[in-house]
Amino acid sequence: MSQTTLRSWLDERLPLADLIQTLRHKTIPHHRHSAWYYFGGVTLFLFGIQVGTGALLLLYYRPSASEAYESVQFITARVPFGWLIRSIHAWAANLMVAGAFAHFFSVLFLHAYRRPRELTWMSGVLLLLLTLGFGFTGYLLPWNEVSFFATRVGTDIATGVPIVGDSLVRFMRGGDDVTGATLTRLFGFHVAILPAITTALVGLHLLLVQRHGMSVPPSVERRSVDDPTALRSMPFLPHFLLRDLFAWTAVLALMAALATFYPWELGTKADAFAPAPAGIRPEWYFLWAFETLKYVPPSIAGIDGESLAVVTMGLAALGVLLLPFLAGHTPKAHRLILWVGVATLGFMTLMTALSLAGTAP
Amino acid sequence: MKRSLTILGLLWFALLAAKADAQTLTADATAAFEDDVHASAGLTCVACHQDQATSGEQFQTPPRTAIAPMCATCHSDATYMNRFNPQVRVDQFLEYQTSTHGRQMAAGEARVATCTDCHGAHGVKRVADPRSPVFPLNVTLTCARCHGDAERMKLFGHTAAPPADWAASVHAAALLERGDTSAPTCATCHGSHGAVPPGVSSVANVCAQCHIREAELFRASPKRDIFEAIGQAECLACHNNHKIEQPADAWVGLEEGTVCALCHDETGDSAETIRAIRRDLDLLSATMAEADATITRAEQAGMLLDDGRTALRDAREHQVQSHVLVHGFAAPPFSERATAGIASAQRAQEAGDAALEELQARRRGLAIATLLILAFLVTLGLKIRRLSWNA
Repeated sequence: MSQTTLRSWLDERLPLADLIQTLRHKTIPHHRHSAWYYFGGVTLFLFGIQVGTGALLLLYYRPSASEAYESVQFITARVPFGWLIRSIHAWAANLMVAGAFAHFFSVLFLHAYRRPRELTWMSGVLLLLLTLGFGFTGYLLPWNEVSFFATRVGTDIATGVPIVGDSLVRFMRGGDDVTGATLTRLFGFHVAILPAITTALVGLHLLLVQRHGMSVPPSVERRSVDDPTALRSMPFLPHFLLRDLFAWTAVLALMAALATFYPWELGTKADAFAPAPAGIRPEWYFLWAFETLKYVPPSIAGIDGESLAVVTMGLAALGVLLLPFLAGHTPKAHRLILWVGVATLGFMTLMTALSLAGTAP
Repeated sequence: MKRSLTILGLLWFALLAAKADAQTLTADATAAFEDDVHASAGLTCVACHQDQATSGEQFQTPPRTAIAPMCATCHSDATYMNRFNPQVRVDQFLEYQTSTHGRQMAAGEARVATCTDCHGAHGVKRVADPRSPVFPLNVTLTCARCHGDAERMKLFGHTAAPPADWAASVHAAALLERGDTSAPTCATCHGSHGAVPPGVSSVANVCAQCHIREAELFRASPKRDIFEAIGQAECLACHNNHKIEQPADAWVGLEEGTVCALCHDETGDSAETIRAIRRDLDLLSATMAEADATITRAEQAGMLLDDGRTALRDAREHQVQSHVLVHGFAAPPFSERATAGIASAQRAQEAGDAALEELQARRRGLAIATLLILAFLVTLGLKIRRLSWNA
């Protein structure tokens, strides 16, 4: 079948011509902040890497307390290129979280959550939470010492949730403590439930981005009134897509280098009866919350301090989710959001640094 | 008159002081007895002090020669002791009578140890209680109270070196540093209640309680008859008695400072065997050390070397068995085990080398991939620059 015949065969069955035509006419705003647009694409690319490498790992991984560690050991030591796939999966997971956070804060600081992009923002916030969920559920899967005790500490935090805290912990652990049941449960979330929800939300998010286009920051909009060169536009195809491809390729090179020179360690197998090793801490993206809880007094005005902190964090997350409906849209409100965002980012960075300094050997 | 009054005054003061001292002793003894295994069994002061005359309210300390027989009235009575613990021993006094302590005590030498010297008098704890002076971690200190006292030992014609020597031994390290309570203490080799120094002919039997295979090999070797003929205590000839150090490969050899050289030299029939054993020991150690260094280097670079580590563990196992087989004082079967160990260490080395080679291959692969990616990025960058993006 020649190329022309194949194309006409596909055109007859799929709206490819319409799609290409739409993409050719699609334009992207170009201004001094437009570099931040690429973080969304990079995060999506890393999600694709995760799906691909995760599927390959599934060929050999065995989700049980007695076999998980050995199966990861087998993947790393025996399966051809298994070390590369596992290392890329682990590094890409971390880069994806970093990319998602960069995308989140850039959208916040550029006020891209404004009408009519409320649903785009909400789906994005949910995707960020799902990304963190992927990190949490995937961390235990190698069943090594560090992940075992970090999961025990991590799930323990949920006891602070009022009323349903204990039930929530039991639900996450599949029992009173972290066991093989927890591993199986988190594996199910990691490879089935979270990917299904994420895929649907990514679809919605992309659809909404396509529907509303890229947001132009209010400051650029204001400046463009006097200086038209402050805001230009570029065709999506091929201009923006090639730039996206450039960013993806650079990330791919970075991942390959990290996987080769800093292969992800497997550590020692988890032993539920062994004492917890010193310096147990969650992954870097949870450190700020972990450290914050350490500074919370046991009781505040007669209320359990940890519960209060967990509820506050939950309300803050809800506030972030509903930000487009809660925040004003005047320049003054935008400045306030900007400073609150900067303060939050500063607080998270400080708490992470304190945690790293406190547990450093 | 004045002088008589002074003496009377001093006597009266001394009497008061003695009474106060006795009261203090009684108070201390009563307090200590509250946490005593006998008190917890329901016994009281008169259980031991029953036949003694009392002076006022003060019990008298029993004569030292009477202490062991007094303890034995209960502790040698199986029917009585069965009420408290059906598993308890009742032969301690019999053993004590066979010990150096017991025999000298029976001969009227009251300065030797009796029950209360080791177990305490009024705060006696079970042996398994970590607070007991005869708990494995404490028993050497208890023995050292007398046997580490040079002045006291001089009276009996002994040195006070054994406790300090033991403290520098592998046995002390196992007990005190690794917390291995099965490691031998004074009582393990000398006996507890029947403590005597093992004789020349019985030392090997004492060591063989734990070092079974070494003892078997030694007894099957020609050394046994030679040692018996010259009156040499078997294990002690190479290992010493109390200061038993970690054996080293360097002990084997004919050079100055080696253990073999104490009896052998280059002219003897055994010279070639000794040299062969040392050669194999050195080769095994060196091969293992080199393999370990290679594997560690590969692991630090992120490689997983479970097969290499397994081979190295095998080599270590063979090395341990080779060290045991040295006690056969013959090339085979030692050489066979050492050769197997060297082969395992070589397998570990090969695994390490393969891992390092694979690491280089990965880096070469990455370098090629990075060059290709960079070339693609440059091409992409040039293409992007050439595009006119004003829509």
